[in-house]
Amino acid sequence: MNKIGAWLLSLRGPLIAIVIGLLAGSIAIVVAGGSIAETYTEMWKGAFGSFYFFTSTLSRATPLILVAMGAAVAFRSGFFNLGAEGQMAFGGLSAALIGLHVPGPGWFVCIVAMLGGIVAGGLWSAMAGYFDVRFRVNLLITTMLLNYIASLFAGYLVTYPFKDKTGAGAMAQTQMLEHAVWLPKLFKGMTVHAGFIIAIAAVVILYIYLAKSVKGYEARMLGGNPLFAVYGGVRRTSLMLTTMFASGGLAGLAGAAEVLGSQYRYIDGSFASADYAWTGIMAALLANGNPIGSAVGAFFLAALQTGGMGVELNTDVPLEIGSVIQAVLILFITVKFSWRFMRRKKGAVVDGSAV
Amino acid sequence: MDQLFDLALFNSALRILTPILLAALGGALCARVGLFNVGLEGLMLIGAFTSIVGNHYFQNTFLAILFAIVCVCAFSLLFAFLSIHLQANVIVVGIAMNFLALGLTTFSLRTIFDVKGAYYDKEMVGLPKWNIPLIKDIPVVGDIFSGHSPLVYLSIVLAGLMWYYFYRTVNGFRFLAAGSNPLAARTIGIHVRRYQYGAMIACGVLCALAGAQLSLGQVTMFTEGMTSGRGFIALVATMLGQSGPLGVLGASALFGFMDAFSIRLQGVSWPSHFTQMVPYVVTIVAMFFFRDKGFIKDAQNAGSSSR
Repeated sequence: MNKIGAWLLSLRGPLIAIVIGLLAGSIAIVVAGGSIAETYTEMWKGAFGSFYFFTSTLSRATPLILVAMGAAVAFRSGFFNLGAEGQMAFGGLSAALIGLHVPGPGWFVCIVAMLGGIVAGGLWSAMAGYFDVRFRVNLLITTMLLNYIASLFAGYLVTYPFKDKTGAGAMAQTQMLEHAVWLPKLFKGMTVHAGFIIAIAAVVILYIYLAKSVKGYEARMLGGNPLFAVYGGVRRTSLMLTTMFASGGLAGLAGAAEVLGSQYRYIDGSFASADYAWTGIMAALLANGNPIGSAVGAFFLAALQTGGMGVELNTDVPLEIGSVIQAVLILFITVKFSWRFMRRKKGAVVDGSAV
Repeated sequence: MDQLFDLALFNSALRILTPILLAALGGALCARVGLFNVGLEGLMLIGAFTSIVGNHYFQNTFLAILFAIVCVCAFSLLFAFLSIHLQANVIVVGIAMNFLALGLTTFSLRTIFDVKGAYYDKEMVGLPKWNIPLIKDIPVVGDIFSGHSPLVYLSIVLAGLMWYYFYRTVNGFRFLAAGSNPLAARTIGIHVRRYQYGAMIACGVLCALAGAQLSLGQVTMFTEGMTSGRGFIALVATMLGQSGPLGVLGASALFGFMDAFSIRLQGVSWPSHFTQMVPYVVTIVAMFFFRDKGFIKDAQNAGSSSR
């Protein structure tokens, strides 16, 4: 009984944030001169209106879930990895290059390409972690700045050495992958691909890791109270490096799955313009780094975005309505943090400890 | 090397450093009272957008900047309320503020101007270019310090004023005390929260000016996400300068110069991808020399750890 009550209480914050987000969305709709009921109906239809729309929401959710898992594993251990965009770009690019140049049967190349994406994203992110533990360079800022460097470098590679010269267009992109290398679609004629299954598997694995394993417990402890964790014998350096590798690796996998499952080539700037990385990070923030909550959050945000496209098609309200609702939501989710914080602070006063 | 280094390079460096310096001064104010403001980027973006909106409606740059200041202050007050009153994690609020700024400006760009990507109107008048009478006649100095928007000069004056405020006024001492040891400050009757709110509002004003310089200074236009990381570079400048006004001025000058230099490198047939990377690489390299000291303490003073 108490458990159910606590569970319901934990839902209160997100629900309030969703209500405030939708209210802010309503204001934005009125300002844009649309009808609230009609816009939200179109949004619902655009996201869930038919089996096709539902599967495209799932397909959009795939990279978001993977990025969200990456952000969540770092967030849970108390690190802010804001570098998903660059890690995703490197992951996607490596997958594309491996898919093009490694010989062998299709399924084998596909798996190697995904592993390559994980390693590329993971190493790029672990580098920022290494800078932090070795040189005390602030992680939040380095991961952020490495985004620009990674995106520009990937852009350079597909503009000059690996540019697709077969097509007529002047697009900065790699050549198209062979059909055998593609991740299979789950349903014929639908956009959702096997990457979605991988994403769900990642959620389950991460949940078990954080909730049941010793390493996961150490990670949560480090996130909850770093001083206590270090006092209790957690090796912060190695945990940070592995966490950052996993975090970046998941972002890299998101890029690889997107390349192998839906774009079939690396196109310069395509991840950034779809805002996969930042939306995924938002999903992780929404659920305070809980894997299942983050996955639900990622699905919800994907629905807001595909719904936004439906709104754009059928009404006069621009599709950015989705991003306004998202941003307000995330802003007010933080109030939930504050409730928890105040409770902890009161507890600390009773203990008489100063921290 | 002649085409790489000349006086025009320093001239454009001064222009580029202005938005970074203004935002970094705002960041320094916040850091000094224990608020690590990650939202500079977003506040700057709102400033850039609202000054274009103000310019569009009032046809007057002064009123436009005033409008931008009011708008940005509203958002920095929201930031302050969430992080000071509701004690939310400053970093999460800052990140959320950046999202909100990006979403809101893009949405408003579509609804107000009905364009996507960028808004440009050749009827709009940008900030005037000033030539300061005496200075412009001095040979070298005149070439560097002439023909800038008033905000360029204002930013340097503000850095000096902030130095004076911090180290030469009683109120400034109280401000610093409120940040370095809130508990001690409270016991001698300093209203710490009042100083925190004050710092956030001042930061809002500074970020509005930074945004105005971006969108009205050199070219009169707004593009989606036009701050493109400058807020984060400003944050690094704050940290590099140890949140002291003169240090911040020096750090911003470094970034301004590197940015101007990277544009220049494009002229000698470097691929633009690499030249655009230069400021970010320099920022990361610069952080190796800073060694993250002050802000962890600041973050703990604010009641939340950054990691």
